[in-house]
Amino acid sequence: MGQSVNYLGLIPLFPLLGAVLIGLLHVFFSTKVKFSEKFYGILACVGPVLSFILTLKVFIALKALPPASRYLSHKAFTWFSVGDLHIDMGFLADPLSCLMLLFVTLIGTLIHVYSIGYMGGDKNYGKFFAYMNLFLGSMLVLVLGDSPVVMFVGWEGVGLCSYLLISFYSEDTSNVLAGNKAFIVNRIGDLGFVLGMAFLFWGIGASGFDFLSLKANVGNLTPAVALAVCLLLFVGATGKSAQIPLYVWLPDAMAGPTPVSALIHAATMVTAGVYMVARFSFIYSTVELAGNIVAWAGILTALLAAIFGMFQDDIKKVLAYSTVSQLGYMFAGVGVAAYSAGIFHVFTHAFFKALLFLGAGSVIYALHHQQNIWKMGGLKAKMPKTYLTMMIGAFALAGCPPFSGFFSKDEILYSALATGHYGIWMVGVLVAGMTAYYTFRMIFVVFHGTPRDQEAFDHAHESPSVMTVPLIILAVGALFAGFLNLPAIFGGGQMVTHWLAPSLSEHHPHASLFLEILAIGASVAAFAIGIKIAYSKFGQGAPEPEFKGFAEFAYHKFYVDELYHAIIVQPYKAIGSIIWKTLEPNVTDSPVKAASKLYMAIGTAFKIFQVGYVRIYAIYMILGLSLMSLFLSQSLN
Amino acid sequence: MFADGLFLGFAVLAVLGAAGLILFRHPMNGAMSFVVTLIALAGLYALLSAKLIFALQLIVYAGAIMSLIVFIIMFLNIQPSDLPKEETKLLYIIGSLIAVFPIGMFLVKIVKSLPKSSTEIIGNNFGGVKQVGLLLFKDWLVPFEIVSILLLVSLIGAVILAGKREAVK
Amino acid sequence: MIHNYLFLSIILFCLGIVGVISRRNVFTVFMSIELMLNAANLAFVAFSRIHQSMDGHVLAMMVMAVAAAEAALALAVVILLHKHKSKLDTNVFSLLKG
Repeated sequence: MGQSVNYLGLIPLFPLLGAVLIGLLHVFFSTKVKFSEKFYGILACVGPVLSFILTLKVFIALKALPPASRYLSHKAFTWFSVGDLHIDMGFLADPLSCLMLLFVTLIGTLIHVYSIGYMGGDKNYGKFFAYMNLFLGSMLVLVLGDSPVVMFVGWEGVGLCSYLLISFYSEDTSNVLAGNKAFIVNRIGDLGFVLGMAFLFWGIGASGFDFLSLKANVGNLTPAVALAVCLLLFVGATGKSAQIPLYVWLPDAMAGPTPVSALIHAATMVTAGVYMVARFSFIYSTVELAGNIVAWAGILTALLAAIFGMFQDDIKKVLAYSTVSQLGYMFAGVGVAAYSAGIFHVFTHAFFKALLFLGAGSVIYALHHQQNIWKMGGLKAKMPKTYLTMMIGAFALAGCPPFSGFFSKDEILYSALATGHYGIWMVGVLVAGMTAYYTFRMIFVVFHGTPRDQEAFDHAHESPSVMTVPLIILAVGALFAGFLNLPAIFGGGQMVTHWLAPSLSEHHPHASLFLEILAIGASVAAFAIGIKIAYSKFGQGAPEPEFKGFAEFAYHKFYVDELYHAIIVQPYKAIGSIIWKTLEPNVTDSPVKAASKLYMAIGTAFKIFQVGYVRIYAIYMILGLSLMSLFLSQSLN
Repeated sequence: MFADGLFLGFAVLAVLGAAGLILFRHPMNGAMSFVVTLIALAGLYALLSAKLIFALQLIVYAGAIMSLIVFIIMFLNIQPSDLPKEETKLLYIIGSLIAVFPIGMFLVKIVKSLPKSSTEIIGNNFGGVKQVGLLLFKDWLVPFEIVSILLLVSLIGAVILAGKREAVK
Repeated sequence: MIHNYLFLSIILFCLGIVGVISRRNVFTVFMSIELMLNAANLAFVAFSRIHQSMDGHVLAMMVMAVAAAEAALALAVVILLHKHKSKLDTNVFSLLKG
């Protein structure tokens, strides 16, 4: 069953070693020897490239195996063994993790190359690449982990790197606060994840706590424990993948450099939650209630984020809310038990969202770090490559056939319809229309019409090729990746779904042709309506709007951040302050202080006997002797 | 009969001398009464047939040691102002007597448990120079040598401690 | 009888202790110590008379020799103390206080 190889551990190891090496060079030598940026850049890209090559090797090896035993495993070393819990640092490459590996390493490499150009001139150049390599290594550990515990190691690692990279421009306190927010909200989700793992171990962990053993023993889980596990793990996913109620960190995370937003907060880290649900599909498929909760939470998040996205004026915030919205789609997919559809959307979304973010970064770079779309305009003449690639990404995001986003989104909506989740389908179609609207609102305002800030426009220029080449490669992916999972109605073989089948516990619903055509038609119609409204409002250059009423409420994100601050943060801080000021000095400090005072008092009491006169010491001796002789004479009788 | 009377007389003298030592203010007076005690003790040794010890007591103790002490007392040229004003002397003495009383009682109890024996004076082969000398140089040779080294050490020590320092500086 | 000698020795010894702890004059303290040594000597000789053995006498001689040595050194120290503070009070030397 499967194959045991010894090179799987190298896939995360190369970027991690790169991180250590670059980190040491930056820390110890950046003040004495000035390494050129090219040196750091090339050194940083070595790890990801090697990982990508090894991933291709894994893919070829997996293709050679029969589907029933299509996995490679590698147990690097035994981490710990306590009672029934025995955890190896083990890696598992099955079709699901192989698919994730492919796009993670590919997009990771491309973004590293892009960052060589984007981060030029920054004084912490080496530190950036150390953190990026560390992130990539952690993400690979997450994807390759063969047990929930190893996955959790990667989970925590990517959370840490997210914090480090969001706070990268640490001179500005608001960036650091954004990083803190991301880490703390993530941590709340992590608590859910740990509790879910604990319940899982309690239920079926005695006979092995790696995914293959768990999958074999899942029948022994009682339904109640299974539901608890599913919901608790989903809490972890809401933190990591920014769903309701823990999505609030993702828009703030745009404070980090744009390559970070592209890699971490679009393509890879935020999809870890979806990957986790797919990985645990053997439990989720047994508890339909959990799936429904996941799906509804996802689609409502998609709706909420789309509403916010329609009113933002920062180009990265638009894309951030778009990411939250698309993640909602993915969770809707895995919630209705269409795991392969959800993962396929992860795959295509990685390409076009990374493309859009890198394109936005190119625009920001060209306009010298201007991020407000109402200061841009008419850039299509000045930045043709960026414009063209971003158009491709926008069409993919909005779900226009034949771009990749259409096929993956349509698959999810069709699965919702086919399994009878009509409410989810209707909300999904609405959100598709809104997605098209806000995406093209952004494109038209930034690239079409007349420039709103003439001076910035004059200084704008196309980005260097180290930044545009990754854009072009990603555009190719955004354009053609959809054909990897072409449904039968269009004459395709659904290759990705068949490839993923051994990893997922999935049942493909059969629905009538009518429903399939209904789904496709509704998706296309939503796209068309959305882009038409956007064109009519913004196509010929519109001025900056003034928001009133509902629009203003949505512009302020429904004041959710302020609500959280008032309900959760302030009371927590107040309790902490009370404990610090009153409880601690009296309850914990005073016994300790009293003990020390007691000893000092005893010492002072004994000081009375140290008079310093030898005669008195002689008296002490004689007194002792006489007492002793009293006792002895008593005993003599 | 005669021996008992002598014993009583010597004992009274010894106790009176000791009392005088601890009661007199000026150390010279105390030294003189101490000499009386020592001479009384010498008499007691003679009553115990310790002929050599009787002689040594008079020669070494009362003769050499006490004369050294008296010499130093006179050397220091003590004025009445140098002497400490001991207002609480009597109080301390009474207190010490009370404190020392249990020790004394304990020792008395032990002594009472010893068997009685006579104290007639033995003439021959006891307590004389020849007998002590033979014992000293046969059974007690090593302690004898060690004591002589001790005396040498104390001699050197006394010279160094009290000798002139200016040349060394 | 021999017990009387021992009682006398005990009395002298106790008087010696009283002298050591109740007087502040350096010479008186020293001579009280010598008194205690003499009391011990008397006990030695008395016991030697009981057992009719000469060892007690030899020991008494040793005690006398030791007393002589100690007297020499003690008086040297007394002279030094008097040079230091020109007082003969044991309470003056209290550097060990506290």
